[in-house]
Amino acid sequence: MMEGQISMNRRIAPISRRSALRLAGVLVALTMVAAACGSDDGDDTDAEPDEPVATTEEAAPVTEVDLVQTEDDLLDAVIARGELKCGVSGSAVAFSETQPDGSQTGFDADYCRAVAAAIFGDADAVEFVPLTAAERFTAVQTGAVDVLMRNTTWTQGRDTEVGMDFGPTTYYDGQQLMARASDGFSGSSTVADIAGAVVCTNAGTTTEQNIADAAAAAGIEMRLDTFEDFDIVTTNFVQGACDVITTDGSALVGRKANQQPDGEEWVIFPPTPISKEPLGPTYGQNQSRFADVVNWTVYATIIADEKGIDSSNIDARLGDGSLDAEAIRMLGGEGELQTAMGLSADAFYSVISQVGNYDEIYSRHLNPVGLSREGSANAGWLDGGLIYAPPAR
Amino acid sequence: MDDAAGTRGTAAAGGAGPVGPVGPVGPVDPAVTDVAAAAAARARPPEETYRSAGEWIRKNLFSSRLNSLLTIAFGLLILFAARGLLNFVFSEERGWDAVRTNLRLIFTHAYPEEQYVRIWVCVGTLVVLTGLSLGLFAGRGEGVQLQKISTVMAGVGAAIALGVILREPSVLIGADGAVVRENDDVVRQSFFEAMADRWAWWLAAAVLIAAGVVLRRAVASSKVSISSVPAVEFAVALLALPVLSAWIYPWGHFAFVDGTFIAEPGRTVAMSTKVPWTVMWLLVVAAMALGRLMRRGFDEQQQQRMRIPLNLLWLASPFALYWVILRDPHLEWDRVLSVDIPMGVLFGVIGAGVLWMLTRPGVGELGRIIAIVLLGVAAFNWLAAFFGWYSMLQKARLSFLLLALVALAAHNFAGESIKRRRLVVAWLVLMAIVHYFATLMNAPSTVETPTEALIGGFAVTVIVAVFTIMLSFPLGVLLALARTSRLPIFRVMATSYIEVIRGVPLITILIFFAIILNLFLPVGMEISLIASATLGYTLFSAAYLAENVRGGLQSVRRGQFEASDAVGLSTTQRTVFVVLPQALRVSIPPLVGQMIATFKETSLLAIIGVFDVLRMANSVIPAQTQFLGIKREGLLFVSVVYWIFAYTLSKQSQRLERRLGVGER
Repeated sequence: MMEGQISMNRRIAPISRRSALRLAGVLVALTMVAAACGSDDGDDTDAEPDEPVATTEEAAPVTEVDLVQTEDDLLDAVIARGELKCGVSGSAVAFSETQPDGSQTGFDADYCRAVAAAIFGDADAVEFVPLTAAERFTAVQTGAVDVLMRNTTWTQGRDTEVGMDFGPTTYYDGQQLMARASDGFSGSSTVADIAGAVVCTNAGTTTEQNIADAAAAAGIEMRLDTFEDFDIVTTNFVQGACDVITTDGSALVGRKANQQPDGEEWVIFPPTPISKEPLGPTYGQNQSRFADVVNWTVYATIIADEKGIDSSNIDARLGDGSLDAEAIRMLGGEGELQTAMGLSADAFYSVISQVGNYDEIYSRHLNPVGLSREGSANAGWLDGGLIYAPPAR
Repeated sequence: MDDAAGTRGTAAAGGAGPVGPVGPVGPVDPAVTDVAAAAAARARPPEETYRSAGEWIRKNLFSSRLNSLLTIAFGLLILFAARGLLNFVFSEERGWDAVRTNLRLIFTHAYPEEQYVRIWVCVGTLVVLTGLSLGLFAGRGEGVQLQKISTVMAGVGAAIALGVILREPSVLIGADGAVVRENDDVVRQSFFEAMADRWAWWLAAAVLIAAGVVLRRAVASSKVSISSVPAVEFAVALLALPVLSAWIYPWGHFAFVDGTFIAEPGRTVAMSTKVPWTVMWLLVVAAMALGRLMRRGFDEQQQQRMRIPLNLLWLASPFALYWVILRDPHLEWDRVLSVDIPMGVLFGVIGAGVLWMLTRPGVGELGRIIAIVLLGVAAFNWLAAFFGWYSMLQKARLSFLLLALVALAAHNFAGESIKRRRLVVAWLVLMAIVHYFATLMNAPSTVETPTEALIGGFAVTVIVAVFTIMLSFPLGVLLALARTSRLPIFRVMATSYIEVIRGVPLITILIFFAIILNLFLPVGMEISLIASATLGYTLFSAAYLAENVRGGLQSVRRGQFEASDAVGLSTTQRTVFVVLPQALRVSIPPLVGQMIATFKETSLLAIIGVFDVLRMANSVIPAQTQFLGIKREGLLFVSVVYWIFAYTLSKQSQRLERRLGVGER
C-alpha cells in the first residue's frame, strides 16, 4: 500500500504547460486529419448521406421541381448502384423457387430480370432478396429492396395505409378449393357442395376468412381446420384427414400436378374463384419515374405477346420489316419514349430478347405445374382474358 | 461366446461400464456383457465381485416386479419408436433425392460453385487447427480398450440385425433399383421375402458381430499384446471409413447443373465431393502427426507455451476465414494507398504519441482529463453521425473511440519506460488490426451470388453461432463482474441490462434488430441482416452468459478475496488471477450448455428471413417444383446435422471438465 501511495503522489504532480499545449495541438491535428479523410469518401457506407443533404439545401430555394428530382430518385439510385434489388419469396412454387445451386427461377424472378434488362440492358443485374411475408413491406420502406415481385395481392389497404404502390397485375389469382373426385366433387362443384366437409387451410392468411365468408354466403355449415403451412395441409389431405383444402388456385394446381397419388383424382373448383388475388409488382410510394419503368417493362412483355414477338424471333422480325410502327417504336426504332423515361432506346428490346414476352415467361414456369392461360383470366384480352396493356405511343 | 465367463469384474460398479448405455433394447447378449465385464476387470482392482450377464440383467433390469414392468414397457416403447423411424427412413416413398440434390443449398445456399475452393480452404484451415490441437494436447493417456471396441462392433451389428427384423416388410427394391410390388393394394410382402431381400444388411450385421467376437477372443486369449489403442488416433482412423466409402460405395450422384437435374443412383459421389473430403482427412492426419512430433520434441513447459499461439490462431480464424477467404474482398489499391494506409499510420503514430505523453511519469490528473476530453470528442463524432453534421469515415470514429478508451487506461502504464513502450506497441498492433479489418469489411466482395446474402444454409448457422459465442463471452464476463461490483453505477447498469434482456424473448430481439434497427441507423449506413441478427443475438446471449458467470463468481469463497487482499493484489489482479479462473472453471457446464443452446437457437433466424439450414429444409426445398412438398426428409436430415455438432460440443466440454477437474473439488 505504501508504494501505491507514493506513486499516487508522484502522479498528482502537475504536467508542464508546454506539454499540455503540445498535447492539445496534437489532438486538434488528429481531428483535422480524420475529418479530411472523411471528406473525400468514395464508397464508405457512412459518407454518402452527406451529398444528398447538401444538394437539397442548395436546391430548395431555386425550384421545387429540382428538389423532387434530386431528393432521392429511386431510378437514379438504382442506375448508380448498377444492380436492381428485387424482393422475392424464394420459396413459392413456380413463382420464385430457389434451385439447388442457389439460383432463383420462376415467374416473379423472371419479371425481376425483365426490369433489370430494361434498366441496365442486362437481365442478370439483379440481386434477389428473399423475403418472408412479414418483412416484405418493411424491406421496401427501408430501401432494402427496390421492387417486390412477391405474390403480393393488390388491396386497398396496402395501396393506401401501408404506403405501397402497385404496378400492372401480371397474374390474376383467386382462391379455390380442391377435393377428391371420388367424394363426388367435380370441376363445376360450388361452395354449397362442401356442406359438412372438413375444410383445411393454412392459418393466419386471408384464405381462412375468405372460405368462412363464402360458406356463410352459401348458407352451409362446415368444419374449418387450420394448419401451420400448406405443406402440412396437403399432407393431411393426402392422408385423408381433410376432405377439402383451399388456397390460391395457382398453388392448388401445383399441388395437384406434383402430389396427387396414382389412382386418385383431385378436382379444383369452383370455376370462378371465391376471392380476387391480383398479383403484380409492388414498390414504394411517390417514385413515379421508377414506377414507370417497372410498369412499362410489364406492358412491353404484354404488347410483345400480342404482336407475337418473342425472344427467338425478335431479331428476325426486326430484320424482315414485318413489325408495325408501335412495335418498332417500342423496340428502339426511334426510342425517344424510352430515353424520356431515363432508359436506353433499346431497353425493351433487351427485355424481350433476354427474358421473353409475357406468354414465354408464363409458359416457361407456370405450364409445368399445370397452370394454362387458356380460358383463365390470364389469357390475353383478345382471347377473353384480362391481360391488357395500354398502347406504346 | 462364453469363454470369457470366467473373467471377473463388474461393469455396473463404476456406472461407466460399456454395458451401461446399451439399455433394455440394445443387444444384451452374453458376449457383450462379458466383454464389458472383462474390460472392467482390467480397469479396476480385482476384488470386485463377479457377476454374469444374466445376473447383471436381473439386478439392473428385473430387480423387482415394478422394475420388470417398467423395463418391458419402455423396451416396447423404444422398439416401436425405432420401428417407426426405420419405416420412415427406408420407405420407398421418401424423397431423399430432394436432400441429396440440395446438399449444396443446405450447407452454403448460393455460394458459387467456381469459388467453392474457398469453402474448402476454410474447412481445411479448421481441420488443420483441429489436427494440431489434437496432436499436441489431446489423448494423453486416453485409450480405447480393445474389448470396448469389440463390444461396440458386436453391438452395432446386433442393432443392425434388430433393425432389419423390426422394419416393416413393405419395401422391396429389385436388383435394378426399382420398387418390386405385385399389387398396389397389397403393400406388405411376406416377411421372409423381405428378410431375404435385405441380405446386404444381414451381411453387414454378421461381419460386424463376427469381427467383434474374433477381436474379443483374440484379446481374451492374449494373442494381441496391447489391450487398448490411443483414443484420438482411433477416432481419426475411423473417419477414414466414410471417406473411403465415398470412393467405393455407390451412394449415387445427384446434382443440379446449369438448370438440369442429374440423378444417377448407381454411381459413386461426384469428384467435387470425394476429393476434397479425402484431402480433409489427409490434412487432419498430417496435422495430427505434426502435432505429435512437436509434442515429442518439446518439454512440458514448451508445450504449454505452444497453447498460446495455437489458441490465438483459433481465435483469429473465424475473422480471417470469413472476411478474407470467404468474402475475398476486392481492394481498390488507389484508395488503399491514398486513404486507408495513411489514415491507419497517422492514427497509429499520433495515437502512440498521445499515449506516450499520457504515460509520462508526471502526467497526473491532467492525463485523465485529457482522456475524458478525448472520450467526449469520440462520443461527439458518433452523435454527429446520427445527425449528419459532418462526414467522417466510420473507421476514424472507431479509432477515436478506441484511443479514448486506451487513454483512460493509460495511467496504469505510467512510469517505467518498459510499461509505456508496451502500451504503445499494443496500441500500434490494435490499430493495425482494426484498420486492416475495417478496410477489408468495407471492400466489396468479389464473390458473386444471385441473392443478397454471401452465404447461407448451415454455413450461416455456424458463422452466426461462432461469432455470437465469441463476442458474447467477454461481454458476459464483463457484465457479470459489473453486476457483482461494489460500485453502484456498474451494478445498477449491469443488473438492469441483464434483467431487461432476459425479460424479452429472443425472437423479439431478433426481429427488432433485423427489421427495426436499420430504421434507427444514420442515413446511408446499412447493416446486413446477418450482421444485425448476430449483434442482437450477442447482446441477448451475453445477458445469459453473465448470469452463468455470476453463479461461478458467487462460488468463489470469501477467503480467496481476503487472501488476495492480504498479499497486496490490486482489484484487477485479484479478479484476473484469482477470482475469474476459479469462477469460470465452475461455470463450464452452464457455459457449454449456453453455447449449445446458442448454436441450436440460431434456427430462429429462419423466422426473420435468414436462409439458414432450417429454412432450407422447411420452406425452400418443399417449394421446388421438382421436390414439391418434400419436407420431412429435409427436417430429419437437418436434425441429424444439428445433433452431430451439438453432441460434439457436449463431448468436448466433458473432456474440458475432466481436464480442469470440475466436480472433483
